[in-house]
Amino acid sequence: MFNIHYRLERYSIRFAIGVLIVASIGGFVEIAPLFTIDETVESAPDMRVYTPLELAGRNIYIREGCYACHSQMIRTLRDEVERYGPYSLAAESQYDHPMLWGSKRTGPDLARIGGKYSDDWHVAHLNNPRDVVPPSVMPSYRWLGETELSRQDLVLDLKALQRLGVPYSEEMVTNATADAYGQAMPDSDEAEGVAERYGDATHIRDFDGNRQKVTELDALIAYLQILGRLTDAAYQNPALQKLGGPK
Amino acid sequence: MMVSQLTVGERQLALVLLILMAVWGLVMTLAGADGLFQAQGTLIFLYSLGGIFLVLSGYFLPPPAANREDRYYDDPTKAGIILAMIWALIAMFVGDWVAWLLAYPEMTFDAAWASFGRLRPVHTTGIIFGFGGNALIAASLHVVQRTSRARLPDQLSPWFVLFGYNLFCLLAVSGYLIGITQSKEYAEPEWYADIWLVVVWVTYFILYLRVLARRKEPHIYVANWYFMAFILVVAVLHIVNNLALPIAFNHVKSYSAFSGVQDAMTQWWYGHNAVAFFLTAGFLGMLYYFLPKRAERPIYSYRMSIIGFWGITFFYMWAGSHHLHYTALPTWVQTLGMTFSAMLLVPSWIAAGNALMTLNGAWHRVRDDATLRFMMVAAVFYGLSTFEGSFMAIRPVNALSHYTDWTIGHVHAGALGWVALITFGTIYSLVPWLWKKERMYSPKLVEVHFWLALAGVLIYVFAMWNSGIIQGLMWRTYDDAGTLAYSFVESMEAMHPYYIARAIGGLLFLIGTAVGSYNIWRTIRMPESAGVVETPVPEPAARPVLRSGE
Amino acid sequence: MTIEHEILVIAAKSYGLFYLIGLSVIVLAYTFWPSNKKPFERAAKSIMEDEDRPWQ
Ligand code: HEC
Ligand code: HEM
Repeated sequence: MFNIHYRLERYSIRFAIGVLIVASIGGFVEIAPLFTIDETVESAPDMRVYTPLELAGRNIYIREGCYACHSQMIRTLRDEVERYGPYSLAAESQYDHPMLWGSKRTGPDLARIGGKYSDDWHVAHLNNPRDVVPPSVMPSYRWLGETELSRQDLVLDLKALQRLGVPYSEEMVTNATADAYGQAMPDSDEAEGVAERYGDATHIRDFDGNRQKVTELDALIAYLQILGRLTDAAYQNPALQKLGGPK
Repeated sequence: MMVSQLTVGERQLALVLLILMAVWGLVMTLAGADGLFQAQGTLIFLYSLGGIFLVLSGYFLPPPAANREDRYYDDPTKAGIILAMIWALIAMFVGDWVAWLLAYPEMTFDAAWASFGRLRPVHTTGIIFGFGGNALIAASLHVVQRTSRARLPDQLSPWFVLFGYNLFCLLAVSGYLIGITQSKEYAEPEWYADIWLVVVWVTYFILYLRVLARRKEPHIYVANWYFMAFILVVAVLHIVNNLALPIAFNHVKSYSAFSGVQDAMTQWWYGHNAVAFFLTAGFLGMLYYFLPKRAERPIYSYRMSIIGFWGITFFYMWAGSHHLHYTALPTWVQTLGMTFSAMLLVPSWIAAGNALMTLNGAWHRVRDDATLRFMMVAAVFYGLSTFEGSFMAIRPVNALSHYTDWTIGHVHAGALGWVALITFGTIYSLVPWLWKKERMYSPKLVEVHFWLALAGVLIYVFAMWNSGIIQGLMWRTYDDAGTLAYSFVESMEAMHPYYIARAIGGLLFLIGTAVGSYNIWRTIRMPESAGVVETPVPEPAARPVLRSGE
Repeated sequence: MTIEHEILVIAAKSYGLFYLIGLSVIVLAYTFWPSNKKPFERAAKSIMEDEDRPWQ
């Protein structure tokens, strides 16, 4: 009796292993080459990392589910390039853990939204999209401007990303909390360090027009304003010409 | 009472496990670095505490009879069915709510938790994992016992799987509302919930293997193959896609181990195969058992079911990249995904055809029996949506359909038409069998549910096909001057009537589910096989009321 | 490093093809193996039998 049971059991385990092997090979074969692809991806030497404030904004973008309505991936199609700008390159999301390419465009693509509108426009729009675009179906995010940004964990955030391979320097990690404050408070002492660490082109300003505190709205707008502007690689891409080029 | 069926040893082990879980919850609450982590810890703690009270309240009941071995153990299946219906009501309600929000964005509370971006994952997780997952666990435990002619090996592990799994679903859904998410579609829960699911899932897999090992029937019936593939592959997908680094062990936040293209590919390898092995393989397991049973005819071709099985297991894994056409993903990977998506049509249609051929000669039953009709229409929708899927995976078609409502229409042709309908058919078959009733409380209400559901799917899907194609075309239309003819906002405005239609279709579907839940509830409350109750009669107090597990 | 990537890509593409063909042959052979016919037919019918309780 025991013997028969034993053999039967082996049979079902063998079956399970068979399923596993058959199923995993497809995935493995398809994904494995992508992990060596780093070397063949276009390089973007000028690319900078997200500042702590922008990263915090990105996490708010994730938290609020903006990705459920907005893509951040311009495809290699002429109409997309004309509507949204140069198509997205793999290099542009190389520091995005996780990527936010999205799968649904209830709203427009945001891959190159940075610089398209003023900070004030974003403040008004996020507060109530229908004040700016009357037929809009985007939700209002009134609470963002009232909520103070929680900054104390940003050191941990940067450290985790550093471990995953994002090139944050030790100095960036240690100063993350102060930098997040400084970037949205241009007159403060903390503001200077931001430009030093992340470059002079970094936007250092009061994004939400509220001088009292650094809010979640500051962070989100800082993030939106940098989208598509971490590197110039996409504009320099020679293959772009074939699709008509940016407008 | 579920506890009465546990042996004394199992009751003790259950208490130990629940106390461990409660401690885990307490540690999360006390050590949590922020309110979010603490809230999730408190949820775990209270959930476990509830379990402890449940076990304690039945702790001193007499132990189960020694002859329990000559019965199947169906209490977990019964509980799974009830949970599935509860999740269906919640998640479809939220689905319809977000559907209305896309037509009237102000139809919500001025609060973070009630905004579209947080509610939408509540809908998707609630429906896929809450409704679908509970139904799959329930059905698989039923089928594996029957086809193996063996009882579950113990009484505790199925309850652990069921309660553990629902804890995962609760953590996920409550997390989104308070702002916890990884943003990976269908894998939104954060790292601690993911780890918990692994524990639950491994128990489920071992439980399944243990039943198979006890089987008296030498051959493993094909439905079990599908269930096994579902359990096993979902485990692999889940683990790989959720690899992430928490920023601290007392923090909800984690960062995906992958970035950019790799992350996209991993995500859609996961996303697509979640459709394949969760929403297809598992439900095909249901189909291959319950459809023949209900039609009282063996499956048309057992061989076709085997070929279909290996075809699906093999082909699906390659197809994920069709979600990333024209993106920064290397072209050869896109082509590979497209080719395999086309080939996928073969095993898919084998399965759908096999189901429909089984009904050949039983069409009069399909006509008269709404339950069987649920399954038949499900097979038709399965065939249709796999065809549509293969079509949409062709690159130029995808150029039009991607990012639009066409995808949503496609998803729901599969989700409402296939997944939900086959599940309802299965549940309507199971409820009278398990609760030992002659039939459902009201066959008429089953009929009503069927037509509401069918009308709902059709309205939903047609509305989304229309809006999706219009949207796709408006985005790429040029005027004579060679510039884009429509602004984005114009395309958005054009969607308005379709969004209303979709929300109405969804409402019909939701009402159908409510009718079904009521019918199931009344069936459970019916006296055991004691004749027919036509009209709603209040239960006389003297009659023994049967509850799950008694 | 690029070479390594290319090798992986080539392996992925060609190996996949052979694997696909091999697997199909195995599955078809198993399905249509004459001696398997009876067990399959039995299996298909077996679920129709009465199934009130486990076999002892
Ligand atoms: C229900 C879906 C939905 C959600 C969720 C959503 N949006 Fe939008 N978004 C839209 C729609 C529709 C538009 C176009 C109409 C408009 O400009 O308001 C839009 C437009 C925008 C624009 C202007 C784009 C342009 O090029 O004109 C920005 C910026 C934006 N959204 C940011 C966000 C952010 C940030 C979030 C998350 C906090 C978010 N959206 C959440 C639907 C959504
Ligand atoms: C009452 C019935 C339902 C209604 C009203 C409904 C409504 C919706 C809505 C409005 C969305 C968001 C679409 C968008 O962002 O434009 C959605 C997404 C989704 N729903 Fe449903 N739904 C229902 C049932 C189901 C069922 C039964 C399933 C699965 C079994 C399901 C699975 C999904 C999935 C997977 C998505 C995400 C699609 C994507 O991102 O591509 N839904 N649903």
